[in-house]
Amino acid sequence: MSDGVTHIHLTGDSESVDQVDDGDCVTSTVDVAYISDENPLLAGISMCGSTPLLWRVADLKMARQAGVIGSLVGSLSRQPRQNTRLGRPLELLDEEARLLAEDGKVMVLPIRDEEKEEDYSERVEHYRQDLEQRHKVQSSLALQDKKGVLQRVMTDTQNEGSVRERLEALDRDFSLPVSAMTVQLCTARAGLGYHSDERDFLSASWPVQQDEQSQTRFLVYRDLRRRGFCLTSAGKFGGDYLVYPGDPLCFHAHFIALCVAMNTTTPLCDILAMARLGSNVKKTVVLCSPCATREKLNKEEEEKEEREVKKQEDEVVYTSLQWSGMI
Amino acid sequence: MADEPVKASNDRPVYRDPPNWILQHPKYLDFMRLDVSDIAQVHAAFLVYMDLTEVRQWECVSSFACPNIGAVLLQGHRKEGEAAQVVLPLPAHRTLSHREVRCVLDRGAPMLLCAVASDSTLVYQRFSSGLVTPDPPVDIQDQGRRQQRKRRIPP
Repeated sequence: MSDGVTHIHLTGDSESVDQVDDGDCVTSTVDVAYISDENPLLAGISMCGSTPLLWRVADLKMARQAGVIGSLVGSLSRQPRQNTRLGRPLELLDEEARLLAEDGKVMVLPIRDEEKEEDYSERVEHYRQDLEQRHKVQSSLALQDKKGVLQRVMTDTQNEGSVRERLEALDRDFSLPVSAMTVQLCTARAGLGYHSDERDFLSASWPVQQDEQSQTRFLVYRDLRRRGFCLTSAGKFGGDYLVYPGDPLCFHAHFIALCVAMNTTTPLCDILAMARLGSNVKKTVVLCSPCATREKLNKEEEEKEEREVKKQEDEVVYTSLQWSGMI
Repeated sequence: MADEPVKASNDRPVYRDPPNWILQHPKYLDFMRLDVSDIAQVHAAFLVYMDLTEVRQWECVSSFACPNIGAVLLQGHRKEGEAAQVVLPLPAHRTLSHREVRCVLDRGAPMLLCAVASDSTLVYQRFSSGLVTPDPPVDIQDQGRRQQRKRRIPP
């Protein structure tokens, strides 16, 4: 496995921390909970600009089960200052988000900016009161702790007088500084599972890029997914996708996919450079092109002379480049 | 540095070492007759032909035109008894599209592209249809914790 492997520890909805296993083996990966047919909850994609993100653990599980790998880009709350192991959110490629939407598994969440000013200040006020309440509780607990310590000291030593004085001083003057307070951060948020009935009035418009290259990439992505491969971004190798025969945590990539339209011309030196790179990293470079005008023959059964009706289908054509230094 | 022409008996000049031997080579003339407009490609095809037949000793190398690409293609056998392969010679400055590659591949035979550089260097590249799984790496050894040990900062 390459250096960029991230360890995902997927737990239930009450997950608050991504525990990291320092050992050699990878913690739980593809063994995700089976989402039954009775559970029609959709995952919610949050758009950050034009980038689709998944935040909830259940959504990440669903995506992984659907063969969509994505890439973790967030910081782990207990291991913030490093880049080796990252946490949520999961950033999706445009093609990954689009395929999930086509399969009816996700919807785009509306942007939070629509929250009104009053609602926002109400939430802030509510939070402040909550903090004050906790402060009081923690303060009284801390005071009890300190008193208990002093009382133990009193029974042990003969210096009863000064200790008693200190106890009384505590009662008068003790206050827990706000900076010493423990604040609990909940990383699970309730209320984000959207039932499919709510989809209609909750879904935002899908920001689909309409240029030809995006369409080409999407068709190739969908076709390779249908063949059972898992795909991730191949920026490191100058290609479009890295194609794995299964989950990336279990296999090395076999192919570097280059999505080109059938008629796009490429200089020969670029083709040779990609092929050479592929052979150096022991992966086959594959040219992938959607072939929209491919014709398939269909036979109508009505007449004795079979009339052949030509049907147009979106097929993807693959050509592999293998280095052949010695032929 | 051409030799002085020596007049033959019928008064036509005969060069002892013809400088344009390529242009006069029978195979080159065959290629020209295939009516491909790109002269540079015909020249490239000739160089590849010479490489296949003289250097690599291929058997039964024949040529034909592919009007879709506008190129002369070569077909031959690497060894006797082996299946025929098609070679597409192209000058290195040319561009190539996936459609053109499929044009050649769809004929059924395995395909080799040969890029001919301006200094006559030949580079062969095999194209295959479909997804061809790469050969597994020969020497895989579990490094264990060695990688992690290497990264420790020295005190």
